[in-house]
Amino acid sequence: MDIRGILLVNSEQRVAEHQTLGAQLATLDVVGKSTLQRMAERLQQYGISSVSAVVEATSNSGVRNLGLPSDVSCVSAAPDRFWRTAESVFNDMAQSGAELVILIRLGAYAEVDFEKQVQFHIDRKERVTRMASDEQMLEIFCISASRRNDAASLFRTQLAHCRSECPVLQHDGYINSLATARDLRQFAIDILTRQTQTCPAGKEIKPGVWTAPGAMIEKGARVLAPAFVGSLARIRSGAVITRCSSVERHAEVDCGTVVENSTVLSFSYVGAGLDLAHSLAGMGRVVNLHRDVTVTIVDRKLIASMSVASGKRFVASAAEVLAYLPKLAFQGIFAANKAEKADLHTTLKKTSPALGTAAGFETSACDTEASHKFPNMVVARRYGHQ
Amino acid sequence: MDINSRPVVVKRMPERLNSRTAREFLRDVRPFLAADRPQLVFDLSLVAQIDASGIEMLLKCMSEAHKRDGDVKLASLSDQAAVVLELTRTERLFEIYETSTEAARSFSGFLPNSMRQQLLHNKRSQPLAA
Repeated sequence: MDIRGILLVNSEQRVAEHQTLGAQLATLDVVGKSTLQRMAERLQQYGISSVSAVVEATSNSGVRNLGLPSDVSCVSAAPDRFWRTAESVFNDMAQSGAELVILIRLGAYAEVDFEKQVQFHIDRKERVTRMASDEQMLEIFCISASRRNDAASLFRTQLAHCRSECPVLQHDGYINSLATARDLRQFAIDILTRQTQTCPAGKEIKPGVWTAPGAMIEKGARVLAPAFVGSLARIRSGAVITRCSSVERHAEVDCGTVVENSTVLSFSYVGAGLDLAHSLAGMGRVVNLHRDVTVTIVDRKLIASMSVASGKRFVASAAEVLAYLPKLAFQGIFAANKAEKADLHTTLKKTSPALGTAAGFETSACDTEASHKFPNMVVARRYGHQ
Repeated sequence: MDINSRPVVVKRMPERLNSRTAREFLRDVRPFLAADRPQLVFDLSLVAQIDASGIEMLLKCMSEAHKRDGDVKLASLSDQAAVVLELTRTERLFEIYETSTEAARSFSGFLPNSMRQQLLHNKRSQPLAA
């Protein structure tokens, strides 16, 4: 039987922008792979080899960087032509001999047993069948390819109504609605704690710690399980990645920063000496899940997004090196020749290097009355890495 | 002895706290910081955007106040300000209050017991206003 799959990704209008990072969540990497990628791979695991993805082109997401398997065709569509494009992809499949088409709008990530779904569709002898989880209807359909009018009515109503009766199959596996940043974070936790069938996209270097090829963890950095470091991501010296944190591909966590129960999105930079906790960081924003607030960070020393194009990234880092060398030479010639003797107490008094030099600032959490009484007492940070 | 002679200055911070506005703000509060044992409360309820230079300015104010045996307290933090302070690990350096009133009131909370009792005694002995 010729079964094919269509994956639809467009902007979710029902969810407020502050909850979604202003991006299509299905295209964002979660523990190494996007939901779109994971769903395409799942379809292929069930023997549905011909899969097409229709992705709405937005300014925030580059369609060329979706990282889909090579045999999955990807069609980009303008927002106003999205549903027409999806319909024409379905028609093309029907014309080229498909008998059944599995249509999935992301959306929710559900670990569907497609074999069971197809069997249900065949047994019921219906034109269109749908999946549901408890009381919630999922946007996962099985359509008989010959029933073009039924498919057309579905596409024209944006999957809201079907022309004919649409029997529902209950889904009893893992599901994540992926509607907000909180869901995205939960999805990462579920993958890292192995509550899903889908796995982290990397090699388990020690129990609970996965790294993708090219991930760079500098000496002195600590990655505590469960955690994930994506391909070509960089964890600088003194940084700590802990409690189900995930640093996605090409992201960088600078020296001394603690990433706790957080996700650093792809192509993002997190500055030195920061505390990123219970958050999603990337695209110049931080979504704090405790406070349920999205904050735009304008200061590139704190959070910045890096260019997706490798050429631009290379030029930016070359410019950084060129600017750094004269500065270093100037400091070598003119700066005071006094070597700074660093001890633990002085180090603990310092605030984040990302803040620059707060002139004359010498107060910190350890500068208490007790510390004057007991000069040998130090206050250590809870991770004990400093 | 006049215990309440030192005023508590409450300053509302601007909506955007970047290097330029931080400099302006510091210029505004400098006279208060130069006083003996300055007591300042910064109201951050309007702050929608704050960068490293804004945080640096806050630390500088705190440092100046501590040099003169005073203190700077923060009040009514907006979500944006709270997230950035948390991110830069500076929230643990300041005393933070829900409202400016609470922050201002907290300054008298650290009076030695003997002084507080004297203050209470003075209040009781004052005749009721007609």
